[in-house]
Amino acid sequence: MNRLVRLTQLWRTSTVRLTAVFILIFVVFAVLLLGLITWQSSVQLQQQQTDAIDREANQLMRLDSTKGFRATVVAVSRMSDQPGPGIYYLADPTGQMLVGNVTDLPPEVLATPGTYSFNYDRQRPFGEADEQPGQGNAVVRSERLESGLILVVGRDVVERRGYTAIIFQWFAFGVGGILLFSLIAGVLTSVRVLKRIDTITSTSRKIMTGSLSERVPVTRRNDEFDALATSLNRMLDRIEQLMQGMKEVTDNVAHDLKTPLTRLRNKAESALREGQSEAAHREALETTIAESDKLIKTFNALLLIARAEAGTPTGALTELDLSAVVADVAELYGPLAEEEGLEFETRVAENTRLNGNRELLGQALVNLIENALKYYEPVEGRIGRIVVGLRREGDRVLIEVSDNGPGIAAEDRKRVVERFVRLEKSRTEPGSGLGLSLVAAVAQMHHGTFRIEDNAPGVRAIIDLPA
Amino acid sequence: MSERPVGRRIAGVADGGLAVGQNDMKILLIEDDREAASYLIQALDEAGHVTHHASDGETGYAMASSMDYDVLIVDRMLPRRDGLSIIESLRAESDQTPALILSALGEVDDRVTGLRAGGDDYLVKPYAFTELLARIEVLARRSSPAEAATSLAVGGLALDRLSRKVERDGENILLQPREFRLLEYLMKNAGKVVTRTMLLENVWDYHFDPQTNVIDVHMSRLRAKIDKGHANPLLHTIRGAGYMIRE
Repeated sequence: MNRLVRLTQLWRTSTVRLTAVFILIFVVFAVLLLGLITWQSSVQLQQQQTDAIDREANQLMRLDSTKGFRATVVAVSRMSDQPGPGIYYLADPTGQMLVGNVTDLPPEVLATPGTYSFNYDRQRPFGEADEQPGQGNAVVRSERLESGLILVVGRDVVERRGYTAIIFQWFAFGVGGILLFSLIAGVLTSVRVLKRIDTITSTSRKIMTGSLSERVPVTRRNDEFDALATSLNRMLDRIEQLMQGMKEVTDNVAHDLKTPLTRLRNKAESALREGQSEAAHREALETTIAESDKLIKTFNALLLIARAEAGTPTGALTELDLSAVVADVAELYGPLAEEEGLEFETRVAENTRLNGNRELLGQALVNLIENALKYYEPVEGRIGRIVVGLRREGDRVLIEVSDNGPGIAAEDRKRVVERFVRLEKSRTEPGSGLGLSLVAAVAQMHHGTFRIEDNAPGVRAIIDLPA
Repeated sequence: MSERPVGRRIAGVADGGLAVGQNDMKILLIEDDREAASYLIQALDEAGHVTHHASDGETGYAMASSMDYDVLIVDRMLPRRDGLSIIESLRAESDQTPALILSALGEVDDRVTGLRAGGDDYLVKPYAFTELLARIEVLARRSSPAEAATSLAVGGLALDRLSRKVERDGENILLQPREFRLLEYLMKNAGKVVTRTMLLENVWDYHFDPQTNVIDVHMSRLRAKIDKGHANPLLHTIRGAGYMIRE
């Protein structure tokens, strides 16, 4: 039963089916070819025989006309004695046999010159393998010689048929062999393919049941299965990474949302418990509202990131003047930076247009500038400076916000883009820690990237978009 | 940052509305959340406005089309008929009553569809009551002629929208283009509170919440230009709500 299942399964594999189709095509062509060759060689052989008969008949006719009938009788008698498929017969003008190696010729052969094919009684051996005594088949030519004698020259056809049969036999043998070999090869390949597919299937089943760390084994053959396995494994790595990210996010959401929720609840509880003054109650309520506002902001930021990360259909991106967006946001924030004692410079390349979402790009730039303002720390002997820029570099458009502050350590630069990450020293600052994640999500949504570089001194945040 | 408009006690409510002399608006609130509705009705009543309430879309539409209101507050997702279709139908009947859409959907696209349906303003839940109040008071004014006037005046301050000139007591004041737009928006709504978010939306055309006091800096610069050296200031900060220009 199991074997039967296995066989049906084998039949279902595409390799076996493909092999079967190939074999079928091969056989059809082989048979056609075989037929053609057999027919051709039979025609060839027949032609050869006819030529040989003609040659001998002509020779004997010439002999008869030049050397006389005696010579002819001697020659025919000698030829009759040679072994082989040759048929020779010489009769006097009345049809009485003089010499030859056959006896009973049909009377019309002797009566009228011409070419005949007939059955006759074979009397002597040819020395051929498939020779049968008794009935033979002959092709002959009869001629009336100058001397009045009747000459019949011919060939036993058995020889010719024998050749054809041998060709046919070997050919059939060859086709059969190839058929058998390809069948075996097909089955073997299929079994191998099936085995490798089975490994992939069983791995994926294991993964589906929860062991996400499983990977499809990769052999060293470096074939298409290995390519598939490698790409599957990469996909699994990515999924695992995303799952890990999700887990971190959930943990962080839990932390960043639960902490203010707890504070909020504690505040309300304590205000309720202690019979305090109206002013204290009011203060407690004000804190409650402020905390819930922070929660709402964190929540909104998360939604925005989720939306930007999910990406929008490109149709939702409209052509916009990025120069105007950057200039507007810079103009909005310039006074604030100056108020905080920083120099604020804007370097915007004119008329830079691209397809994008104005609101999200604006928000991303706002986050970068607010970040620069929030984390700016004065450095001794240096005037603080923030530069907002937009420039083209080949087929890229770069939105940059740089400062000349203390900068971010190289090992932290990648980390700050991750969701909820705030460098330890900034833990005490207000904010959700989502600002830069949003920037990264917006960049990704516009098919670009977000990175942080060393501005030497300071930090340069870059939104790198395709033009 | 403590200057954010949200979270404060409902400012100026006891004195009757945020605005000066803008009491007694007749408001229709179409909202299916009864608790939210009763809170709003009470707060609007304290602000001196009369509010009618409909708790589903059909009733709301019937009320809106049969009675005259100064402003409609329409929740976007309602039982029986959604908020946008109510506004679309009213606009199709050339009823131009100003409408504020309330919605939990806060994306830019949602806002655009809301405004395209005929809404005049869009407020995302959850919101601070002061924000809602400021917005409906500004909306109700839409029907007044200030919207189309070529020149605006508050006290000794005059703004010409065509020549883009600003004068105070006959003295020319030079403003940056953005400052001009800021002042124009404030003067168009003179005597009413405008919140920071409203300024960001109407002057800069962005709908996000700035985390810092970015608007305040612009306001203090504007204030320095128009109020400096004058005994009676025109530009007022309304604590917990926003700004107002008035005599």
